[in-house]
Amino acid sequence: MYGGGNVFEATKFDDLQAEDPVKLAEFEARIARGEKIEPNDWMPQLYRKQLIRMIEQHAHSEIIGALPEGAWITRAPGFRRKMAQMAKVQDEVGHAQLLYSAAETLGKSREQMLTDLINGKSKYSNVFNYPAYTWADSNIISWLIDAGAIVNQMANARGSYGPYSRALERICAEEAFHLKYGHDAVVHMATGSPKQREMIQAALNRWWPPIMTFFGPSDKMSTHTETLMRWKVKMASNDDCRQQFLDMYVPKIWELGLTVPDPNLQKNAETGEWEYTEPDWEEFKRVINGDGPCNAERLAVRRTAEERGAWVRKALLSPKAKYVKPLA
Amino acid sequence: MSLTSLDPRVTRLHLPDGEIPPMEQKPALDQFETYEVFHLKKEGAAYTYVGPVHAPNEEVGFLFAKEQYSRRFPCVGLWIIRTDHIQVTPYAGDGENIYEMIRAEEPGTRSEQAEPYEIFQLKKRGKAHVHAGRVTATSFQEALQEAKQAFGEKGPVVNVWIVKSGHVLQSGEEDRDMWLTVPDKKYREATAYKVMDKITKFKEEQRNTPA
Repeated sequence: MYGGGNVFEATKFDDLQAEDPVKLAEFEARIARGEKIEPNDWMPQLYRKQLIRMIEQHAHSEIIGALPEGAWITRAPGFRRKMAQMAKVQDEVGHAQLLYSAAETLGKSREQMLTDLINGKSKYSNVFNYPAYTWADSNIISWLIDAGAIVNQMANARGSYGPYSRALERICAEEAFHLKYGHDAVVHMATGSPKQREMIQAALNRWWPPIMTFFGPSDKMSTHTETLMRWKVKMASNDDCRQQFLDMYVPKIWELGLTVPDPNLQKNAETGEWEYTEPDWEEFKRVINGDGPCNAERLAVRRTAEERGAWVRKALLSPKAKYVKPLA
Repeated sequence: MSLTSLDPRVTRLHLPDGEIPPMEQKPALDQFETYEVFHLKKEGAAYTYVGPVHAPNEEVGFLFAKEQYSRRFPCVGLWIIRTDHIQVTPYAGDGENIYEMIRAEEPGTRSEQAEPYEIFQLKKRGKAHVHAGRVTATSFQEALQEAKQAFGEKGPVVNVWIVKSGHVLQSGEEDRDMWLTVPDKKYREATAYKVMDKITKFKEEQRNTPA
C-alpha cells in the first residue's frame, strides 16, 4: 500500500552540467534501451537522490499505513476477517522491509531513514494522517487506498532501478489479495442491512477527499519532471494516475448504490476525462506538514516502538558485526 | 497527558503527548547486518534470490527470511548468506557475458585445500540471481574461472555472485513442515474472494424494489 503524490521538487543536484558527459550519455542510453540500472552502476546525483526519496517515502507509507488498519484487528467482525486483516497488515510491514532495503542499495542507511521518519524529516503518504473511525473506514482503506497504491506501484514497477522493480514485483503479487479482500468487505457492508449501508457510505464520505489527494497535485511540467520521466524514475503523471483510478473504481462504487460526495464528479463523454472538484490542496499541505488529526499519534507509535525495543537490539548486537549494504 | 487513540492498543502504550525533542540519531548497526535470501519454489527448480533481511545473527536471519520471503507463496527450501560473505563481479550490459569481460586475476589469498563454492548468476538486469551450481577451488578468483568453464557457455550472464559453500545456511529436511500450511491459508489469496454473486443479487433486488 502506498500513497503516491510524490512532489518532485527541484534539488541542488538538478545541475546535470556537473555530471561526466560520457558517463551520463552511457547511463541514458542504457535506460533508453530498456535495461535496468543496478546498484553499482554509475548514476547521476539527481537520479540517486530522487530514487532514495521516493523509495524511502514508499517504505514509510507501508509501515505507517499498517497503523489505521491494525487498529481494527482486535475488533474485526468474525474470525476469518480478523485473520485476513492480520495477514494484510503483516504484508504491509513486510513491504516496508523490502523497500528500506531497496533504498539502502543507493547508500542511505536504514538507521538514517528510521531517524528521519520519526523526526518528521521524511514524509509518508498523507492519507494515513487521517483516522479510521469505524470498521467501515478500515474497509474503505483496504479497498480504495490499496487500489490507488496498486495503480501507482504497477507504473513504478516498470521503472529503471533494478532493486525497486524487484521489490515492487513482489509487493504487487502480495497486494492482489488486499484489493479483493477490501472489495469483498465493502460489498458485504453495502449489500447488507440499512445500518451497514449507512456506515460504509459515511466512511466513503470521510475518505473521499483524502483519496482524491492521494496521487498528489498536478505535476508542474518542467525540465526537471521531463528528466525524471526520461530516466524512468517517474513513470506517470499524478493526474494520469488519478484519472486511471477514477476510471477503474468510480463505476464499481456506483454499482453498489453508493454515492461519491462530489457533485461535480462526472466523466466528460467528449474528452473521456473525469471532471471533479479540485481537492483542497491547502489542507493537503497543512496536514503533510504535521497539522493533521493523526500525525502526532502515528509518529509517537513508531518512536515508542523504536525506543522501547532499543535495549533488545543492543543486547543482540554482536561486537564483530560489520555493516555492508544489501547487494540487490 | 498521554495520547488517546481510536486503537485501544495504542492508548495502552501511554504515549507521551505534546512537544517532544527530536529523537537522537540511531547509532550505526542499530539495524544490524544484512543477509541475502534465496528460496526454492519447488522440487527440481534452482535456488533464486528473493532479497535481503537485517538480522543480528544467522539463526535470527533465517527466521526473518522465513517470515519475509516464504510466508505467502509456495516454498520448499531457504538459503541465507551474510552479505559480507558474497563476492560480486562487475555488471555487464544485457545480452553481454561478464565471464568474457573480466580478466583472470591472481588471488590475494588461497586456501591450502580446494573447497566448494556456490555460484549464482544474473541473466538479465532487473531479474533475480539464480543458483547455477557448485565448483571447487582454492580462491574466489579460481572459483570464478571454474564457473566460467562450467556455466559460462550457456547464454548471456550479466553478473555473478560467488560464496563459499560453508557460508550458506541451508534449511534442512526437517524444516520442510514450516511450509506445509502455506496453501491452507486461503483467506490471503485473491481467488478466495468472490463478490460478483453478491453484487448481481444486490442489483436484482434494487431493480425489483419500487423506488
